[in-house]
Amino acid sequence: MIEAHSLTKHYGDAVAVAGIDMVVEPGRVTGFLGPNGAGKSTTMRMILGLDRPTSGRVTVNGRRYVDSPAPLREVGALLDAHAVHPGRTARQHLRQLATSNRLDPRRVDEVLDLVGLTEVADKRAGKFSLGMGQRLGIAAALIGDPAVVVLDEPVNGLDPEGIRWVRSLARRLADEGRTVFISSHLMSEMALMADHLVVIGRGRILADCSMDRFMAEHAASSVVVRTPEPGAAAAALREAELEREGDVLVVRGLDAAQVGDLLFIAGVRVHELTTRRASLEDAFMTLTADAVQFHATARTPEEVPA
Amino acid sequence: MSILTLTESPSPGWLDAVRAEHQKMFSVRSTWWTLVAIVVLGAGLTTLICATSAEWLASAEADEAPGSFITWGMMIAPVGAVVLGALAITTEYGSGQIRSTFATTPARGRVLAAKALVLAVVLFLVGTVTALIGYVGGNHFLDRHGIGLALEGDVLRAMYGSGLYLAALGVMSLAVGFIVRHTAAAISLMLALIFVVSGMSPLIPGRVGDWIEKLMPGNAGPSIATPVDFNPNLLDAWTGYGVFLAETAIVVAVAWALLRRRDV
Repeated sequence: MIEAHSLTKHYGDAVAVAGIDMVVEPGRVTGFLGPNGAGKSTTMRMILGLDRPTSGRVTVNGRRYVDSPAPLREVGALLDAHAVHPGRTARQHLRQLATSNRLDPRRVDEVLDLVGLTEVADKRAGKFSLGMGQRLGIAAALIGDPAVVVLDEPVNGLDPEGIRWVRSLARRLADEGRTVFISSHLMSEMALMADHLVVIGRGRILADCSMDRFMAEHAASSVVVRTPEPGAAAAALREAELEREGDVLVVRGLDAAQVGDLLFIAGVRVHELTTRRASLEDAFMTLTADAVQFHATARTPEEVPA
Repeated sequence: MSILTLTESPSPGWLDAVRAEHQKMFSVRSTWWTLVAIVVLGAGLTTLICATSAEWLASAEADEAPGSFITWGMMIAPVGAVVLGALAITTEYGSGQIRSTFATTPARGRVLAAKALVLAVVLFLVGTVTALIGYVGGNHFLDRHGIGLALEGDVLRAMYGSGLYLAALGVMSLAVGFIVRHTAAAISLMLALIFVVSGMSPLIPGRVGDWIEKLMPGNAGPSIATPVDFNPNLLDAWTGYGVFLAETAIVVAVAWALLRRRDV
C-alpha cells in the first residue's frame, strides 16, 4: 500500500506535484496516467525517497521508504530503463543488487529467467536494446520479491509481445495480493492493464476511481440519428439530451433501441441510426486538456514571423 | 501459484553495502585499466628513472638523494587514484545507475562509506605493491652503482606510505565526485588541485606563502610516499599525512552533507 498526503514538489519556481492525496491499494493494478510533465515520475521518485518532497509525505506500507529495513523486499521499482551502468552485464547488475540487500543469490537466475534474459545474462547492459533494458529493469524490480511494485512507463520500447507480457505480469502480481502501481501516458495501454486509475495533470489529481467508473463517466456513448424530419424527431426525443446539426441529431442518455422505438412511435422517418462510443483516449484528452504542459500550437501562415 | 518464491532473509546492513560496492568496482573494465596504469606507471617510471639516473646519483656532482628517486613513479601514480576514485561515483551519475543504487540502499551515507572503504583498501594494497615493485626494479640499478637502499626506516615507510597516500587521495577524489557528479569535472578539479595549484603555491611570497605551500593537499599528502622529499620546505611525513587526512575528511563531510539534501 502506498499513501500520499498533500505530497508536493517544487523545483525552483516550477511546481511538479501540487499537493496530491492518494492511496494505492494492494491486490489490484493501479494505473497512474497523465500527459508528459504531469508529475508522474516525480511522484514515483518521491515514493522511493530519491526526491525529497517540498511538503507533505508519502509512505509505503505505513512508513517512509528510506526507513525500510529491507528496501528491495519492500518496494521493487523500475524508474528508468537506463538506470544501469552500461559496462556491467545483466547478471553482474542483478548480483550486486542482491548482495546489497542480502538476498539469496539464486534470485538472480530466477528473475533473469522470469523476464526472459537468461540467454543474454552475460552481455553488457550497454549493448541492450530498449526492450531488453526494460526487461532488465523489471527483473531488478522483482528481485526482492517485493509487496509493492512501482513501474514507470514499463511498456516503453517493448514490442507487442513484450507489452502483452508486461500486462499479464502486472495482472499476476496484483492477483498475488501485491500493490502494483504503473505509470503511462497512453490511455489505451491503461485501459487494458489497470483495475483502478489515478489521472494526474499539472501535478494535480484529476480523477481517482475504478477503471469501470472512469469509462462510464468519461466515455459516455451517444446515438446519431439522420432524418429528413429533424424537427419532428427532436420533438419525439425531447426527454433526452439533444444536439442538432442540420439533418443530424446527436442523442445522449438513451440507447439506440430506445431512440429507434420512440421515433417509430412518432412516425418519424429515419435514414441512419448509429451508436457512437467516445474512446477512452478522447476522454483522457478532454480531462487533461487544460493540464497539458506542452501544447503544440498551430499557426496560420500570416502569423508566422518572417 | 506464485511466480516468485517468497524468501525470508535478514535485514541488510553496512557489510552488505560494502560487499555490493566491491562487486560493483570489479565488474567494470575501467577499474582494471586504472589499476594496471597505476602499477605500470608507478613501478615502471621508478625503475626507468633509477636506471637512467643511478650513475649521476653515485657521482660527486649529485645534489639529490637516491631516496628521492626510489619512489619517483609514485609522483605520477596518484593520477590513477584520482581517476579510480572519481569514476567510482561519477559513472553512476552519468549512467543513471545512481537511482538504482539509492533505491536499493536509501541510506545514502552507507553508500558513500562503503565506496570509500572499498576504494581505500584497494588503493592501499595496490599503492603499496606498486611502490615495492618500483623499489625492487629501481634499487637493482642503484645497487649496481653502490648506492642501493635497504628496505627499512624511511624507505620502508615510503612503501606503505605510498599505499596510504593513494588510499586517502582516492577517497578525496570520490568525495569530489559526489559533490560535482560529473566525471570530467571531478577529475579535472582533483588533478588541478593536486598537481597544478599545489605545485604553484611556492610562488606566494612570505611566511603565509610558506604555510600555504606546506598545507596544500598535493604537498602535504605525498610526503609520506617518499623517503626523502625533493622539496625540503614541506612538512615531515606523518604530520603532512595527518594534514592530508584532515583535508580529505573535510571534503567527505561536504559531500555527505550535500548527499543527504539533494534529489537524485
